[in-house]
Amino acid sequence: MEKVKKKIGSFSFWNWVTASIIFRLILIYFPKNLNLSSRPEVSTPLTSFRRLAEGYWLKQSFMSPYAGSMYHGSPLLLSLLGPLTINRIEGQPNHLLYSLVSVIADVVSAMLIRATGQNLRLAYLRSLESLDLVKQIEVSEFLFSGDIAALIYLCNPFTIVACVGLSTSPIENMAVILCLYGACSRLIPLAAFGWVIATHLSLYSAILIIPVIFLLGCGPDSPPRKLFLQRHQQKEVLNQSKLPPRFSWGPVIHFAFWAFLWSVYVLVLCGISLKQFGGLWEMFKSTYGFILTVEDLSPNIGVLWYFFAEVFEFFRNFFLIVFHVNILFMILPLAIRLRHRPCYLAFVYVAICSMLKSYPSVGDSALYLGLLGWFVNELADMQFSLFLFCGYVGVSLLSPVMHNLWIWRGTGNANFYFATAMVYACLQIVLVVEGVSAMLNHDRKLRNLITGKPQDAKS
Amino acid sequence: MAETKEKSLSDEKPKPRVRPIVRLGIFLISHSFHFSVVCCTAGVLALFLLPVLAKNTYISENALMPGSASPMLSNQHVSDGNRLVKDLTNPNSKSSETGIESHKIIAQYMLDLGAEVSFHKFHPQMNQFHPLHFFSSPDSGKIQENYSCSSYGINTVGIIRAPHGDGKEAIVLVTPYNALKSGFGEALSLGIAYSVFSLLTQVTWLAKDIIWLVADSQYGEYAAVAAWLREYQTPKFSSLSTPNAEMCPDVNNLFELKGHSISGSKFSNSFRRAGTMASALVLKVRDQNEQFEDTISIYAEASNGQMPNLDLINVVNYLAVHRQGLRVNVEKLWSLLNSSWLKSLGEIFESLAKVAKSLYPKWKFGIPATEYVEGTATLASSLYYQALGVPTGPHGAFRDYQVDAITLEISPKFSLDKVWRNDILLRGGRLIEGVIRSVNNLLEKFHQSFFLYLLTSPSKFVSVGVYMIAFALLIAPLPMVAASLYVDANSSSNCSKGDSSTPSAITDTDEHSIAIRSWRWLNSAKLVFIVHLWGAIVSLLPYFISQIPDCSPTTSFMIWVLLSILSLLTLNSVLASPLACAKATQEKEWALVKSVTISSVFIGLGLMSVINFATAEIGALLMVPMCLLAQPLKLDVRAGTLRSFCRMICNLVLGHIAFPPAAFFLLKGMLDGFGNANVGDFWMWVESLWAWNSATYLFIVEVTYIFSHG
Repeated sequence: MEKVKKKIGSFSFWNWVTASIIFRLILIYFPKNLNLSSRPEVSTPLTSFRRLAEGYWLKQSFMSPYAGSMYHGSPLLLSLLGPLTINRIEGQPNHLLYSLVSVIADVVSAMLIRATGQNLRLAYLRSLESLDLVKQIEVSEFLFSGDIAALIYLCNPFTIVACVGLSTSPIENMAVILCLYGACSRLIPLAAFGWVIATHLSLYSAILIIPVIFLLGCGPDSPPRKLFLQRHQQKEVLNQSKLPPRFSWGPVIHFAFWAFLWSVYVLVLCGISLKQFGGLWEMFKSTYGFILTVEDLSPNIGVLWYFFAEVFEFFRNFFLIVFHVNILFMILPLAIRLRHRPCYLAFVYVAICSMLKSYPSVGDSALYLGLLGWFVNELADMQFSLFLFCGYVGVSLLSPVMHNLWIWRGTGNANFYFATAMVYACLQIVLVVEGVSAMLNHDRKLRNLITGKPQDAKS
Repeated sequence: MAETKEKSLSDEKPKPRVRPIVRLGIFLISHSFHFSVVCCTAGVLALFLLPVLAKNTYISENALMPGSASPMLSNQHVSDGNRLVKDLTNPNSKSSETGIESHKIIAQYMLDLGAEVSFHKFHPQMNQFHPLHFFSSPDSGKIQENYSCSSYGINTVGIIRAPHGDGKEAIVLVTPYNALKSGFGEALSLGIAYSVFSLLTQVTWLAKDIIWLVADSQYGEYAAVAAWLREYQTPKFSSLSTPNAEMCPDVNNLFELKGHSISGSKFSNSFRRAGTMASALVLKVRDQNEQFEDTISIYAEASNGQMPNLDLINVVNYLAVHRQGLRVNVEKLWSLLNSSWLKSLGEIFESLAKVAKSLYPKWKFGIPATEYVEGTATLASSLYYQALGVPTGPHGAFRDYQVDAITLEISPKFSLDKVWRNDILLRGGRLIEGVIRSVNNLLEKFHQSFFLYLLTSPSKFVSVGVYMIAFALLIAPLPMVAASLYVDANSSSNCSKGDSSTPSAITDTDEHSIAIRSWRWLNSAKLVFIVHLWGAIVSLLPYFISQIPDCSPTTSFMIWVLLSILSLLTLNSVLASPLACAKATQEKEWALVKSVTISSVFIGLGLMSVINFATAEIGALLMVPMCLLAQPLKLDVRAGTLRSFCRMICNLVLGHIAFPPAAFFLLKGMLDGFGNANVGDFWMWVESLWAWNSATYLFIVEVTYIFSHG
């Protein structure tokens, strides 16, 4: 993240992109030294490469890929990526092809983020224009948020580690970004495809349907609709063309249709590939069921494994419900408060999911940190940015150290590792809270500019 | 609207209602100078208080008590041991060039006892600086391929299978032995081990297998033990993957011959294993000694400051003192023993304790001044060896595989008569027997007691909960100062804006300034990151330089310096000359740079305290004052007051002292006199610190060094 400069010309942008790709390729050539694919921070039971290879092997030998509770991903990934797990080129690192696929997925995601960021920036400028705030806010100082977001995504150590660590999260992230990109540029079939695939790969992406509906219904992020009305009341001319469009149901129904179509398609494909091995029910049980019941308690950077290792068996179901409803509880209030900024809402949802999901990895953090880059202009006055940054650096260094103390040296114990997981969760909470309040402050500031009230000093 | 107005009004006045914790935070930040002075002093003081606060050790598990049963080692076993010592010191056995004869003798003795015997051939492997070793598992080190048949060592391994055991666990007894030039002490240690071994073949209580490893120490004790452990812990399943000693014909012949000459079914050429190791004892007998009583020195520090479980030391200490009447020693910094200031400090503490006791009789925390001085000397050496990260003996190899191990060095009062020799054999053997019996009775690994502690005497320790307080006090100012600098930098930029512009213009300029304000630290973070990157490169360079063959230490040091400067220049030019940029803007930005640096140092020190406390403590002692005092020289020169001049001098001195080569020379100069210091020595020293901690230490230090001179 340090590498992101304030002003990035397009030349420098491509330089950084190539540099990050080259850096990944260099790392891919030293997989043995780093041993990243066995780190608990990188590969969870859902995204682990070894499990994918195991599932593929099971399927090749005519057994159910879900046998033995090893593989918990999608059967489509098995058919697409499975062959890459055994293909080898002489004299090259073992999983070169697979790593290349991850690198490509990362680059595609970054490009999609860039395009979406440019969309968002244009929409923001347009809404400022229609609010007549262009003079008051120096538009020329505006940063190219798309470039910055793409670079944050590409240069983020978390993304690099997830990519080099052979986890499947680059592909999951790409599906999420595809969905948001499609919704922003109003490519409804693409958005539906992205949403269906993202939901299929990891259950939590399902709640992205709310921001996507807002995006399709009212267009990309803009200041609250109330502001436009106030502005025009002041001028006492109600220019309908300058108002943001009202919520329109047409694209949403269109989206629902496409989403239905794609999900049927995906399910049929899965059904075909699992025909002999128990069919779709088996798939749901060992993918979504595995996610929801938190069966695997091996340590990761989340907080659930420790909790469910401690909890009594007869309370388990109760706490499972509590933890999952936790996510659902936050959906509605946030959706109401941030409905005029659907992309930001999507960022908040992704961040909350990566905090509360049952098997989080650094790949999830990479996704929301990348999405955060879209809003550099709006979040310019976010508080605690240095604190958060130092916290992220500290935790990402401390976590491997604690793991080492616990597993290899034997001088620590599980509590050491869990402590870093808790700090990490707290950091994410602070990030989300501060981010949301900074965004609301930004809206308030715009309102003050319109009404001519003095600047709120607290911003 | 009214709300916002109110808020803006209330911002100008002190806010009436602020939450107490926020108010506390603001208070601390605004008084960070006094706060940091108080904290640092308290931190240093708490460090000196540690010997007073040390607790007595205790054996935390009843399962460890059987060792104190009356020993079964009798004079019969001792005379067996004596026989072995005689055979080994017999000049006939030293006739062979490779020393294979003495190994044959030992093997024959082991076979006679009914133990399983095997030889382990190994090639000495130099410790290599491996940058990522810390995060990987211990056995992932690659084994070198370029073996030569000329240099190899032979470990003799004897294994007793426990009559009641299931073969899942084992206790290891190690005696280093150099067959080519063995002193009398080494032979004596073999004698002690043999007498215990001969006892253990007969006892009925044995539940864990006993492995006796006679480590061939002609290439260093550590190397031999480490090679054997590597082989033990990483089984090779295919014979193709071991292109090692078996390729060499002469070695093979020797062993063939050996196999025929010894007519025993229990001898095998292949590698023998027992179960997982519960603990390991390394036994040594020192040759010369001037002391007047028999003492035992315990060495416990393994690589990276890891310590074995305190219970192991407790058992040894308890049995040695209370059963065998031996004096137990741990390493001390002898130079501190005679220092007068320490003595007076101890007296102050003692008198304070007396005053406290007279005030309230239940306060009993004082210790006598002499004891305090000894405790401090022991503590200092404990800190020093842990911080160095270099194991103090062959036991260090075991800790890498999570096996608790210590080295026992018996230094007998020196005389040559036979009675004395028997006495040492008897008492040493009984001590070993007791320890083995205690460990043998354990059902699980050592876990009851501490792994993180510092010793102040063999029977006193400071646990992690106590010594962390001193460290926490020492580094507590860092986040405070960082926060106050950060807040200052932000608010000052605000003030200047507010003064210069009319109220109507605030809205115009504010948007601009805000965009920079909140994320302005990114520039300084970039600078700090680049310097850290450079530091990392510099500290990784020795790894590559050590690959160059045939380099004298001095030349490789020169190469290192050259490459470091080169890499700095490259980084400078590639990454848009961050240092030059920073210099131009440093007048305004230095506070932010300092704040980011201090936070990064805080993170680094916090990390180090988890990995290796002693390094972190010593690092903090050096770096905290440096971080807090650091200020650009230009500003100081311009200010021209006496205070800033003093600060400048402090900065320069601290910056130079903390620069590792300088620190090394100072230390060396103090210890040996300045005459024989040499750059090559520094290279050797760095090479010896192949472990991870030195690297971190280097690069954290680099950063502040650069900035204090910015």
